[in-house]
Amino acid sequence: MTQLQTRLTGLAGGTRPATRTLGVHPTVRFLLRRLGAAVLLLFVLSLVVFTLSTIAPGDPARAYVGANASNAAVAEARARLGLDDPFLVRYARFVGHALTGDLGRSLRTRHPVTADLAAFLPATVELVLTAFVLALVLGALFAVSGALRWPGGAVGRGVLLLLATAPPFLLAIVGVVVFFGSLGWLPAGGVGDFEDPGPFGMQALDSLLHGQADAWADAIWHLALPSVVLAVAPAVAVGRVLRASLDTVLGMDHVRTARSKGLTERRVLVGHVVRNAIGPALSMAGLQLGFMFAGVVVVEQVFSWPGIGNYLAASIPVADFPAIAGVTLVLGAVYVITNTVVDLLQALADPRVSAT
Amino acid sequence: MSTGAAPTASAGPAEPVARVENFSLSLVRHGVRREVLHGVDLSVAPGEILGLVGESGSGKSVLALSLLGLLPDASRPEAEGRVSVTGVDMLRADERDRRPVRRTALGAVFQDPMTSLNPTMRIGRQLREVTGADDTSVGLLDRVGVRDAALRLSVYPHELSGGLRQRVMAAMAVARRPRLIVADEPTTALDVTVQAQLLTLLRELRDDFGCSVLMITHDLGVADQIADRLAVLYRGDLVELGPAREVVRHPRHAYTRALLGARLSLTGERDPRFARTVTVADEPDGTGGPVGGGAGGPVGGGAGEMAGDTTGEPRPARSPAVTISGLRREFRVRRAGVITALDGVDLTVDRGAALAIVGESGSGKSTLLRIVAGLETATAGSVRIAESTSGHGAQMVFQDAGSSLTPWLSVGEMLGERLRAERLDRAASRRRVVETLALVGLDPDVVGARPAELSGGQRQRVALARATIVPPAVLLCDEPTSALDASLARSVLGLIRDIRAELGTTVLFVTHDLAVARLMGDRIAVMRAGRVVELGEAEALLADPQDPYTRQLLDAVPTIAELDERPAPLEGGTA
Repeated sequence: MTQLQTRLTGLAGGTRPATRTLGVHPTVRFLLRRLGAAVLLLFVLSLVVFTLSTIAPGDPARAYVGANASNAAVAEARARLGLDDPFLVRYARFVGHALTGDLGRSLRTRHPVTADLAAFLPATVELVLTAFVLALVLGALFAVSGALRWPGGAVGRGVLLLLATAPPFLLAIVGVVVFFGSLGWLPAGGVGDFEDPGPFGMQALDSLLHGQADAWADAIWHLALPSVVLAVAPAVAVGRVLRASLDTVLGMDHVRTARSKGLTERRVLVGHVVRNAIGPALSMAGLQLGFMFAGVVVVEQVFSWPGIGNYLAASIPVADFPAIAGVTLVLGAVYVITNTVVDLLQALADPRVSAT
Repeated sequence: MSTGAAPTASAGPAEPVARVENFSLSLVRHGVRREVLHGVDLSVAPGEILGLVGESGSGKSVLALSLLGLLPDASRPEAEGRVSVTGVDMLRADERDRRPVRRTALGAVFQDPMTSLNPTMRIGRQLREVTGADDTSVGLLDRVGVRDAALRLSVYPHELSGGLRQRVMAAMAVARRPRLIVADEPTTALDVTVQAQLLTLLRELRDDFGCSVLMITHDLGVADQIADRLAVLYRGDLVELGPAREVVRHPRHAYTRALLGARLSLTGERDPRFARTVTVADEPDGTGGPVGGGAGGPVGGGAGEMAGDTTGEPRPARSPAVTISGLRREFRVRRAGVITALDGVDLTVDRGAALAIVGESGSGKSTLLRIVAGLETATAGSVRIAESTSGHGAQMVFQDAGSSLTPWLSVGEMLGERLRAERLDRAASRRRVVETLALVGLDPDVVGARPAELSGGQRQRVALARATIVPPAVLLCDEPTSALDASLARSVLGLIRDIRAELGTTVLFVTHDLAVARLMGDRIAVMRAGRVVELGEAEALLADPQDPYTRQLLDAVPTIAELDERPAPLEGGTA
């Protein structure tokens, strides 16, 4: 954290006395404010999740002991689970435990939720991040090919737009039918046939670390379809925003100045256009990453992907509150952290953000 | 037309740096292809400063971009003739050949220093792109008059003032010792004192670096001060070309004469319509004035000229329409602490009178106006607007009419909106709208038009109509004409004057232009750093300024020596 702060300060705030004033450096203050907001948001999130669980229908105690258990057994379970305590006491206990990494025990799997998350989260993260990188690359191509009027770019953009208009589940099913059913090029689901060698629980990454080429290829083969399905909509969202801001920035006076200096078009783009255009695309990318963690539930189901999406989908019908709360908190945290990181990146890209 | 073909005014035998030969250009704008330049012939000799004047839309900026080889692809330029710089065809040569010309032989300074530098790149890096080394950059910044040059390298453009940014632009333009600097209205966005400094700088740079300058401006005064030769563009035609002194003093073309005639100067005779006295007959003295006359106290920052109104003779005290007392406004800024925009301003404006507030950017004049309008709140002090029979409340006309009109509303809707409180029926409301449009000199046909379909002058007239359809007690004008061409500006100023006469409205007019202030104000208040440094009757104040700052402002106004000193009619004699 501190190291990051120092680096950010050095980059964004300047090192000259002219930009320094008394007290905390503005960039550091900006960082602290954003981080404070993130922590606050997480607390609000935990409160919302917890409140919802208390007013939601379904008795966790009964779910815990089973539908056929006696009322006495349910009452005993209630007491043991602490469900009879006042709201604030239960919330405080919930937060206290959560802070020490204890999110309770899943009513369905009977494992600690933390252990379940540790088992299922890596696969989700691997899928979402792969899709996210893919979305960024596709989005950048979408935007740049449009802004610079690359020949043939319109065709690619049209295809991407078309794909993005389909809802993900439909895209997933059609993808399976075509690429698995008809062509047999890609697998129908799962993460792969090889044993994950560890340590991250991410097939592609772990096999790469261990230098297992065939396991890696197999993992990528399995990742291909779900990650494309997950990536197209965010790619178009990011691409459109980036395209619009590229168009705007390309028409700006300072770009004309840069060209009048006789810089090469590549240097004009890299030095004077991209950084000024990236802000809105960064916000959109952050937003989309959050959406992708939510949207992954559907995709994981279609592709039998062993991630938290599947875990959540299994937990909801049985009112497995600790599991649902755990997943929600984790997804919420990812969302908040992503957007905080995006804010920081924006401050880095544009010195005026942290100055105001 | 093609007067430039004959090398009558060529400065010596040397090969010209830039040559424009029979150059016609058409561009696509808003989906319509139009020819913007017709057979222009022009050349820039080594070491020469060539002035290029014309109103907006005359094609002067397009000519500049053509010389730089930077015509926007999006407007699909189609050209005939030739535009060459150091022998390279800047229209048709391969980009690989044109880029080195921009890199080594050309420098550019553009109009708006706020937007012409990359906002996310430090000044040092932007300079290094052309200088190659920070040491060279520091030397250059020193040369163009940027103090603490070494420290400035690490700041971003938004941390510099407009004048400093334009100096940085000038430094970048001369960094590679170009043969030609293309300066497109480089001083238009700057205050007069800064403008004067920058013009001097450009001339010095020409002398030091031996480069030529193509100086584009709409201000004949500026052109006369700096240019050796002067070219006049009118609707894409080069209508006049010759030695600058000659063209300015003995214009041959009717358009050049019109341009001179529209010029507002500090000494020229007031147009009869401007001289018309404003009568406030329907306003018996003191009626309904709830404001005590003594509230204002000593007005102004100690400059003693308290001549009551347009005439010096004593007259019974009129009731003030606007009373501003002890007005302070402070802004808390994260880095700089507290900035005092207004530092105790006391002013009173009599009913039906006009006060022009003059000052440079940052002097607090716009903040003052915005507080009077109720758009901002004061930190301390008070503003009182007396109700009167001629109207109530304050209405404001802004500098940029383009962005102060709602783009999706028609003119009729925008004007009708203000009538809502009066609960008129449809026909009556419609009648009022048409009447008001007539008052501002607009055809009833524009009722259905949206702002984008109107010209700049028409938009400003709509803004005026919107402000006066329900007559205000006070009309507040924030540089309403500074974005307009001279002739348009003149007509809009006349219009404000007419409205004032028609409605008996009190006017507060903010401007940075002393010549405009002279036309619009019975009295002029000069502001600097949040204070009124001088206040007095317009002509008297300009004839005999008391405060050194007022004198400095007056000296910085570009004047055309022989013309402006003689109080003779501008169009006299030469034709």
